[in-house]
Amino acid sequence: MADSENEYSDDEIVTGKGRAAASKPKRAHARWENLATKTHDLGDAADGNIEGVLGGIEEANKRRRLLKDTTPLQRGIIRHTLLVLDLSIAMNEKDLRPTRYLLTITNAVNFIREYFEQNPISQLGILGMREGIATRVSDMSGNPNDHITAVRNLRSLEPKGNPSLQNALEMARAALYHTPSHGTREVVIILGALLTSDPGDIHDTIKACIKDRVRVSIIGLAAQMHICAEICRKTNAGDESCYNVAVDEVHYRELLMGITTPPVMRATDTEMQKRNQAALLMMGFPSRVTEDKATLCACHGQLTRGGYLCSRCRAKVCNLPATCPTRDLTLILSTHLARSYHHLFPLRNWVEVSWQRAREQNSTQCFGCLAPFPPAHEGADGSLPKRAEGASESSRYECETCQNHFCIDCDVFCHEVVHNCPGCQSSAHLPGVEVEEANGNGHVDGEAMETGA
Amino acid sequence: MNAVDATSRSIEADTGAPPSLLTVILDTNPHAWNLLAPSLPLHKALASLLVFLNAHLAINPANQVAVLASHVERAEWLYPTPPSRGHQQVNGDVDMANGGPVQQPPDEANKYRPFAAVERAITSNLQNLLATTTKAALSSTPTTMTAGALTLALSHTSKLTTAGPTSTQTAQSSFNYSDPSSNTSDSRAAGSSAPGSSTSRILILSTSPDNSAQYIPTMNAIFAAQRLSIPIDVLTLASSSTFLQQAADATGGIHLSSTTPTSHAGLLQTLMLAFLPDPTARQSLILPSGEGAGKSVDFRAACFCHRRIVDVGFVCSICLSIFCEPVPDGTCLTCGSHLALASYGRKPAVVPRKKKKRKRVVGEGETPGSAGGTPAPG
Repeated sequence: MADSENEYSDDEIVTGKGRAAASKPKRAHARWENLATKTHDLGDAADGNIEGVLGGIEEANKRRRLLKDTTPLQRGIIRHTLLVLDLSIAMNEKDLRPTRYLLTITNAVNFIREYFEQNPISQLGILGMREGIATRVSDMSGNPNDHITAVRNLRSLEPKGNPSLQNALEMARAALYHTPSHGTREVVIILGALLTSDPGDIHDTIKACIKDRVRVSIIGLAAQMHICAEICRKTNAGDESCYNVAVDEVHYRELLMGITTPPVMRATDTEMQKRNQAALLMMGFPSRVTEDKATLCACHGQLTRGGYLCSRCRAKVCNLPATCPTRDLTLILSTHLARSYHHLFPLRNWVEVSWQRAREQNSTQCFGCLAPFPPAHEGADGSLPKRAEGASESSRYECETCQNHFCIDCDVFCHEVVHNCPGCQSSAHLPGVEVEEANGNGHVDGEAMETGA
Repeated sequence: MNAVDATSRSIEADTGAPPSLLTVILDTNPHAWNLLAPSLPLHKALASLLVFLNAHLAINPANQVAVLASHVERAEWLYPTPPSRGHQQVNGDVDMANGGPVQQPPDEANKYRPFAAVERAITSNLQNLLATTTKAALSSTPTTMTAGALTLALSHTSKLTTAGPTSTQTAQSSFNYSDPSSNTSDSRAAGSSAPGSSTSRILILSTSPDNSAQYIPTMNAIFAAQRLSIPIDVLTLASSSTFLQQAADATGGIHLSSTTPTSHAGLLQTLMLAFLPDPTARQSLILPSGEGAGKSVDFRAACFCHRRIVDVGFVCSICLSIFCEPVPDGTCLTCGSHLALASYGRKPAVVPRKKKKRKRVVGEGETPGSAGGTPAPG
């Protein structure tokens, strides 16, 4: 747990920096500066075996990425996001390879894919900032391919002029104006320039954004700007983590992909929800049919073979999600909804296993992939191999619910891809749950509830 | 293969089909197999399955198989054999994957050793599994742990495909002692092929209906398979499963149902003709699409409140939980937020209609014989 303390202190530094940038002239160390001066703590390898330590560091890094808070948070799953790309002259810089502009296009395409993967019933639109005005790259829609072609077409366009944050925000605000109140309204700005050339007072625009509950997050490519920090802080109810400056290509990608996770809802937003009171939606889950003869679809009036039959009126629509043209029923694929369930029932973090525990459980293979674990044959005299801070000393990780042991690869895979615990899912008798129930402890996580129900 | 020259060998490895991993999930739900017994007893199905597995192994010497049983209360590996918990291995060696008490092979001279190893492991593990099934477990749950078996299969597959050749070798070391020649070809193929180039797929032999309590885990597993581009093939032997149908559709796998006694008799034929081609070969084949309306997919979902499978449901706009009826006290059961029916919900749609009808009925109600009045225009 010393590890998490490190994380915490890291964050402290960042927030301190953010505040300093926003209000005080005094400047603390930025995170990237700390990273640059940090040397690898390789001194631990007393026995001179560097391989084990390096492997441990890699494992610890993987693990650190996984260790997040698994308390279910209310997240905005129906999102409306506008991605604003900087198309100004500053994007020609080559500090990010190949250029900021080309890298941004590549990353934006990946962002679009990942965004719709994570938020299947959300909407996305893309704007550009070029020659002092905001231009529309693609309209709000739920079809990733439209956006991807639009962004790819930007390749032929040369970055030009100065960006204008105010114009971009105003246009985004207008585009988000009509969106339903139960969804979120977000603007993601990628800013390469160190200036914004605005026609009026941007503070008025910020106020208008707050009023329309538009959340802005900005990824800078050059350096921190006071106005960006202010925009993000004010539109995110004082939360300063929405403004980040990318240090390198990898960091840039990470920042952008981090935005694809649905945002947490704040108390103020919940009040807004209560006021709007539109919360239980009736939806149909139609089944797909294929027909021998083409028939007219109810949505476009085109001849198609096959489609989806509305579960209430049997009208045929060709694509989902859609609204049934005859009755006002929202039709959606249940798989669209199911994609976001892992945000609601996150998999519990697994704990590191000490050698003693490993011997107790006598685990020789990873439960998931059957890969062998390193045996504890070093003897009980304390001469067991040491590993880096944060990695499990026995290379085993234990799910507390089913008490099975897993390797680091399965740990990463199960928490990032499957969101299931192989052990909990494959046994009806979970020792962890039984112990908790015996103790009268009411806390059972989502996974356990699923199997227990 | 026969070329001794190193150069030609490397070329051959490049052009050859990539090794593929076939994971079979056998639904061993005793209730379902009991119902199937007149037309397709388990041992016959198992015999067909073993022939199918051997065929897969024979296509490419680097091919691998893995078999899982999804049983009533647990999912278990049938092949490779996992070590039993608490059974301490003296040397801690990997080879115990096949080296339990079962594995002192009576050497059959007429059998290709990998085939024999797979067969022995599967039959003995299946016998163990069935022998250890208690009556209490049988009576408590009539369904099967598909989600668990899928998750296990996926984590195994992802480890084999993403990790480097070393782990492939450890998994393959089951052939170490039995067939040195096959092992060398494995390591060569694994070493020459880039990670991820090996194709893998999952075949589910399903006999039981859906367990709607497993809706979310199953869906999670389906999306994971989609992300790893692992097709999930499904062969339904008894009652059809909505979730598995969606799994096959979402991951681009084949979904076939063979529920009649005649099709049960041809189980081996179905397996060999429909499911043997690996994903690379399937690109140039016209895939079987089942009988009749086989292509239509049932996309219904299970509701969170009663685990019913519904086609029109109420969805909480905050957490997207599905309910089969409006929640009683207006509080979402999952996220606890206060819910109100949206304007296009059930109530507003019904009330205005009734009013209109009443007015008409009142107007026509004054003319007496309702049956006599209407046919007049006709």
